[in-house]
Amino acid sequence: MLKILLPTLMLIPTAWLVPGKWLWPTTLLHSLIIALISLTWLTNLSEVGWSSLGSYLATDALSTPLLVLTCWLLPLMLLASQNHTASEPINRQRMYVTLLTSLQFFLILAFGATEVIMFYVMFEATLIPTLILITRWGNQAERLNAGTYFLFYTLAGSLPLLVALLLLQNNAGSLSLLTLAYSPPMQLTTYGDKLWWAACLLAFLVKMPLYGVHLWLPKAHVEAPVAGSMILAAVLLKLGGYGMMRMLTILEPLTKELSYPFIIFALWGVLMTGSICLRQTDLKSLIAYSSVSHMGLVVGGILIQTPWGFSGALILMIAHGLTSSALFCLANTNYERTHSRTMVLARGLQMVLPLMTAWWFIASLANLALPPLPNLMGELMIIVSLFNWSWWTLALTGAGTLITAGYSLYMFLMTQRGQLPTHITALEPSHSREHLLMALHLLPLILLVLKPELIWGWTA
Amino acid sequence: MLTRLSRFGPALPRLLSQPPSRFVSQSKPAGSAGSAAVTELHPAAGDVGHGEVSQYVKNPEYHGFSSDPVVDEWNMKVGFFFGISVALVIGGTFIHYLPDHGLRQWARREAERVIQQREKEGLPLIGEDYYDRNKIALPTAGGEE
Repeated sequence: MLKILLPTLMLIPTAWLVPGKWLWPTTLLHSLIIALISLTWLTNLSEVGWSSLGSYLATDALSTPLLVLTCWLLPLMLLASQNHTASEPINRQRMYVTLLTSLQFFLILAFGATEVIMFYVMFEATLIPTLILITRWGNQAERLNAGTYFLFYTLAGSLPLLVALLLLQNNAGSLSLLTLAYSPPMQLTTYGDKLWWAACLLAFLVKMPLYGVHLWLPKAHVEAPVAGSMILAAVLLKLGGYGMMRMLTILEPLTKELSYPFIIFALWGVLMTGSICLRQTDLKSLIAYSSVSHMGLVVGGILIQTPWGFSGALILMIAHGLTSSALFCLANTNYERTHSRTMVLARGLQMVLPLMTAWWFIASLANLALPPLPNLMGELMIIVSLFNWSWWTLALTGAGTLITAGYSLYMFLMTQRGQLPTHITALEPSHSREHLLMALHLLPLILLVLKPELIWGWTA
Repeated sequence: MLTRLSRFGPALPRLLSQPPSRFVSQSKPAGSAGSAAVTELHPAAGDVGHGEVSQYVKNPEYHGFSSDPVVDEWNMKVGFFFGISVALVIGGTFIHYLPDHGLRQWARREAERVIQQREKEGLPLIGEDYYDRNKIALPTAGGEE
């Protein structure tokens, strides 16, 4: 773990000591090398259990894909933010790189932690750089409101988790994931135990976000700069799914009954947020709601607690991480040219940016789960395991898939097809940087088709 | 034709001296009144974005990285070489040649071997007990404290 953590930390002095004009190439190079080294985590020689085990940090088949995704996202964020920070003074650019680096550092510690309480602390610590990213680097005054929503939804959700964890420490004597998995099932019968169950999952359900506690997410996405949206959609939401999968092994006997309302809520959310997407005018908001919709499916897959459910959830999380991040980058390329996120104001872009249309097409298809992309595999595994539980879920998941295809088409048609509005005349052509950015998002997604066992997790 | 050209008025000399970075046909099928007005609002080259000069005017090989042409080119090279050639190609090759992930292939080979052996011996493929009953030592009734 240290061979990734220390280079990540050293990115901060690199960002401050390197001459100003070489800031972006140097940090990009540095972070790409970190991402390359992080691939060594994927070596998995045992059927079950942990690898890279140290006293506080370890990886297993569940955390490895998320860790590699985290490391992969830093160079992509650097590539994406290069253009819009170029007009800032050099020290602010260095500060920005430092912020992104610290976020990656906390995320690695969160996904690698073997103690639940350390996971909790790092889970909370990621709030700070993200909050700064939204409220300092956002574009409009509403960013402060979005920051408040983001902070207080997440904090209010996760304070009960802290109490629940302290209680668990008191009862079980340890919060180590290495031993908790082998502890005998607890006698959970009282009303207080049920509250404890809810407290353990609430933080993650807010972070996912579950429909009903999702209002912070579209706001945060719309107001954050592109790097903020990228990391939020690609990794921070997945902290919720990861945390739930870790906690469910401890909450064993209660989850079977108590999870029903949450599964229904999640599936209902898939329908509702998908429908909200269909009538969005704001491009970033549409992508944000589509994230909520996909995460609803993930919540369902996790709470159903079958091997296929868990596997599908992890596959969908990784695939959605790359896809939604790519969509946010595409939305940003439009925003940097038209200075507007409103879709009606920038239609028919195929006429001016034909190559970008190709990327929009691939990313939209990935978003609506085109075979053989991992998005489809994840969704199918979750839908099948939910169907096995109750036939009625097929009405919800099936309609959800249909609506997903619908709004992906709507997004593509609204931005790319039709006639170019008369106020758009001289758009800058697309940069090599943007094509590289899209290739680095979508090529790994296609490559994952060839070796899906990397993201199956421990259950399949 | 001449009357249509004359509508460009003062914009025309600027258009010719600074060629636009990309020529995109903006002509409408019927009536060109809109396009002439728009052309005066946005001269094709020069004022792109917030009144800044387009990077393509200063550096026709602009890659979107930096306003300095040298840094721009180096940044592009670093990004493409280490992003595509190193991370995706070498990284992908590394992942492809990793040993058996999670011992899945080994487990399958082992299972097929066991199936063949049990079929040969005429045993059921899978017993109904997960653990061997003879190996479980239950405490006697009085054994517990």
